[in-house]
Amino acid sequence: MKAFWFRYRQNRGAVIGLVILALVLLCAVAAPFLFPRSPWSMVQRPFLPPFTMDGLPLGTDALGRDVLSGLFHGARVSLLVGLVSTVVALAIGIPIGALAGYYGGLADDMLMRFTEFFQTIPSFALAIVLLAIFQPSLAYVILAIAIVSWPPVARLVRGEVLSLRHREFVEAATLSGQSNLAIILKQVLPNALPPIIVLASLMVATAILLESSLSFLGLGDPNVMSWGYMIGAARTVLRTAWWLSFIPGIAIVLTVLALNLIGEGLNDALNPRLRRRQS
Amino acid sequence: MKTFRFLTTVAVIAMASALAAEEPVQGGTLNAVIQPEPPGLMLGLIQNGPTQMVAGQIYESLLRYDTDLNPMPSLAKEWSKSDDGLTYTFTLQDDVVWHDGAPFTSADVVFSVDVFLRETHARLRASLVHVASIEAPDDKTVVFTLNQPFGPFLGIFEVGTMPMIPKHIYEGTDFANNPANNTPIGTGPFKFQEWERGSYIHLVKNEDYYLEGKPHLDEIYYQVIPDAASRAVAFETGQVDLLPGGSIENFDIPRLTAMDNVCTTNAGWEFFGPHSWMWLNMHEGPMTDKNLRKAVMHALDREFARDALWNGNGTVAKGPVSSVTRFHEENTPDISFNPEKAKEYLAASGYDGETLRILPLPYGETWQRWAEATRQNLAEVGINSELVATDVAGWNQKVGAWDFDMAFTYLYQYGDPALGVARTYISSNIAQGSPWNNVSGYVNEEVDALFADAAIQADDAARQELYTKAQDIIVDDVPVAWMLELEFPTIYRCDLKNPVSTAIGVNDGLRDAWLVQN
Amino acid sequence: MLGFIAARLVKAVFILLAILVLNFVLIHAAPGDPAAVMAGEAGAADEKFLQDLRERFGLDQPFAMQLWTYMRGAVQLDLGYSYRQQMPVAELIWDRLPATLLLTATAFVISIVLGVTAGVLAAQAQGTWWDTLISAVALIFYATPLFWVALMASLLFSVVLGWLPGFGYQTIGANYTGLDRVLDVGKHLILPASTLGLFFTAIYMRMTRASMLEVSRLDFVKTARAKGLRNSVIQRRHVLRNALLPVITLAGLQAGQIVGGAVLTETVFAWPGIGRLMFEAISQRDYNVILGVFFISAAMVLLFNLVTDILYGIVDPRIRIAT
Repeated sequence: MKAFWFRYRQNRGAVIGLVILALVLLCAVAAPFLFPRSPWSMVQRPFLPPFTMDGLPLGTDALGRDVLSGLFHGARVSLLVGLVSTVVALAIGIPIGALAGYYGGLADDMLMRFTEFFQTIPSFALAIVLLAIFQPSLAYVILAIAIVSWPPVARLVRGEVLSLRHREFVEAATLSGQSNLAIILKQVLPNALPPIIVLASLMVATAILLESSLSFLGLGDPNVMSWGYMIGAARTVLRTAWWLSFIPGIAIVLTVLALNLIGEGLNDALNPRLRRRQS
Repeated sequence: MKTFRFLTTVAVIAMASALAAEEPVQGGTLNAVIQPEPPGLMLGLIQNGPTQMVAGQIYESLLRYDTDLNPMPSLAKEWSKSDDGLTYTFTLQDDVVWHDGAPFTSADVVFSVDVFLRETHARLRASLVHVASIEAPDDKTVVFTLNQPFGPFLGIFEVGTMPMIPKHIYEGTDFANNPANNTPIGTGPFKFQEWERGSYIHLVKNEDYYLEGKPHLDEIYYQVIPDAASRAVAFETGQVDLLPGGSIENFDIPRLTAMDNVCTTNAGWEFFGPHSWMWLNMHEGPMTDKNLRKAVMHALDREFARDALWNGNGTVAKGPVSSVTRFHEENTPDISFNPEKAKEYLAASGYDGETLRILPLPYGETWQRWAEATRQNLAEVGINSELVATDVAGWNQKVGAWDFDMAFTYLYQYGDPALGVARTYISSNIAQGSPWNNVSGYVNEEVDALFADAAIQADDAARQELYTKAQDIIVDDVPVAWMLELEFPTIYRCDLKNPVSTAIGVNDGLRDAWLVQN
Repeated sequence: MLGFIAARLVKAVFILLAILVLNFVLIHAAPGDPAAVMAGEAGAADEKFLQDLRERFGLDQPFAMQLWTYMRGAVQLDLGYSYRQQMPVAELIWDRLPATLLLTATAFVISIVLGVTAGVLAAQAQGTWWDTLISAVALIFYATPLFWVALMASLLFSVVLGWLPGFGYQTIGANYTGLDRVLDVGKHLILPASTLGLFFTAIYMRMTRASMLEVSRLDFVKTARAKGLRNSVIQRRHVLRNALLPVITLAGLQAGQIVGGAVLTETVFAWPGIGRLMFEAISQRDYNVILGVFFISAAMVLLFNLVTDILYGIVDPRIRIAT
């Protein structure tokens, strides 16, 4: 662990990313305490520019809602969607990839065809169709994002498992009579974990982008204040109140940037091949 | 705000009459916006908004209406009503020809109404049940005989309701699949020239129009610009000169109307009288409680919605009949914004804090914001609610299936309560699957009787009395939560003169419009 | 090689059909139907009106029958009829496709040229401030939501500076011809194409840089160096050539995603392409149009994958031998 942190710390960008993410996380946690009122409450006259009134440092939107409060509550939604949809995508992708890689043959063929099939459908368009069917709520937005983002996980895991399954320790476990399931869970997957973790951190970033795009198109949950929603709602007043689109955009960029930087840091710290390169 | 709006109205009226004194000039090209792109232009088959807006220049009906809803001649130059209110006789204009040169006669009228529209036009079909026969004693005369007096009868001759269809092209064909649908033939002041899908629709002057000297314009381009912000920019940069009501987001209106040489009018929607409300689901669930419905009604800050979301355009609705529709009653029971009263009604109701489902109207940002503001209004008095996200198709399905507690909508009134109001409140009009009938599920036998009675009175004073009574009862029962009488300003370059002179505005008004030539 | 292509084509056809079936099922599962939407737009309807429409569209048929009818047509490349637009879907897509192809192809070229060049530069200047700058820019591009850049770019370059048109495909009502028209469309193309290309530019930068660095550490490069080949020759002949392999894979994979991105770009810039067409068709449940657009874009992805594989074979001879 210490060694891991040491290697991670070598990447300055990764440390910056961690700091930014910690701040976003702090906003998300503090939101209900700092802004106990709903971010939807109409508190002042509409279109108050930033820095013109005490207590409303970022001004108000088209309905007189506190932009700063929206930003804080939006952090909760972005992080939640990013994390949960990634977990769901991993839950779909890891088993498929592991089974395909471990058993090979027909199973591999079928599962990879299935994966390939999903990769051929334009993912954003598929997400839109899925939300048209389900009609957007937070749970379905998460599900739609997960459904379009699991194939890379499956491919990655398959590749890792494929390269691991003929290693000595796996063969030894087979000889000692462990069941296939036990071998996959106890021997193979733990060793395939590092690249999965790296991929997952990047997937959280992508999921946040995807959620904001969907909300921007009006396909988000209308009952949660999200950054993408804020931009989409401010779009019609872009010319008269540009800051309403600008501010939440910056929040998305920072958060996604932070996650990408962290992903790189994790990659440096976990991926042995690259580690060799560093030396 | 009120005073300001009054003054603008006065200014517009004063300007309009000053303009009327000016002498029209011939020629010029008008660029207008059309939104969204219509699915087709055959007005007898398709009656959505954009189709009416374009096809209203191509097709004509027997009458037009001024902004006070008085009938004016169109294809009929004269008309008369028998004393018993059962027979209406129309005399047609002389020398009217279709765009392909064939003469327009009374046979076309009989075919259009009795054969074509009876088959294809749902809204007209509902009025035609009162018509016993349509006959053409000679080429220039059409006689409608009714089963019983029908008060609003002279109100159904608007072009979107009863467009004249060429018999020589459609008789005996499969109407929906007739290839002529792509090149519409009417009698109107402009002819169809070309439709570049996704770009524009091009109409040109009808040189053989029966009115000497009309139309004034040489051609009209309806530009298809599929994005609201872009439409606003196109107007700003001079690429289009006419923005029909509702074609840009409300938030852009102040910026555009503040520009030099830009005129605006709220007139030209009187026939439609767009009236907005929330359906309150009285079939089942918490909204069956009258006290809760009253609490919701008083919780809604409709002045705020009008000022913040509609730029002050619109009138806070007093009840089911719009103030621009005939037989409107101003002194209905009080339903104004009053949180204290709302809380009292809420306390008296059986509401136990459950979350109510609000279905917003999926027609753009203004409606979305309105639903959000409503959710907060309700929260302020202690009613929990959430928005249900839908798209257009989902909204139609959910409203038709009564799958909501509150659902935003707006409907046209067509000038007369018998045509556009009764359908929302009479119990015989409760049926699943349609978002335009009595969706709330409101049942009140007295109201049923009043509406039935008022429709078949020949005398206006008698109708007024019955409708006033009906409005009082309905407002007290709150089967829907009335929001605003919507107004959709038409915005245009001041070089364009007289674009709105009728109750349906630019839908048929471009016949009389002209452009100042620079 | 020909056999390989033929086998891939057959597979592609099956994948396409499977995608159509899946999407057919999905979109019909969504609430509401096109008849109700069209009736809604008309502002009034009765049972007869809806019944007439559903009969005309064939929506009154059993579901399996509708699927069968559609698939039978699709196999013969008949994509059916658009209910809402009242014209054949193929014609509709054909009208809109050039705009999307122009947009995505331009974005594609911009991002590959810009991304690969910057990536090579960064790799060669590894460790310098130049490398840091390029990598940082790539990271920021990568983290920026496409629709937001599009909004900000149109605000800055169109509204504030007034340099470029902020929406549309051509100047409305200008009716240019010849070179004027090309220039006019070109001017309208700049903002949407560069914002659409931005995200991919970033990916190509990072990809190229990373794989250049990785390849330059491989044995055969070391051998080449040991043989005394000049560095620029090594870079060009060995490193870049091999570093391009993952870039090509990526290009093939992303070709399909670019169509998805086009939905957002076309929405913000009012670009009349198939992305917008599909987005509107979804809310109107114009089934055949949605399926048609899916068909075209999936076909494009498969085509690009095939091209990728062939390119791979050309760049990397080992693969050609293997097949």
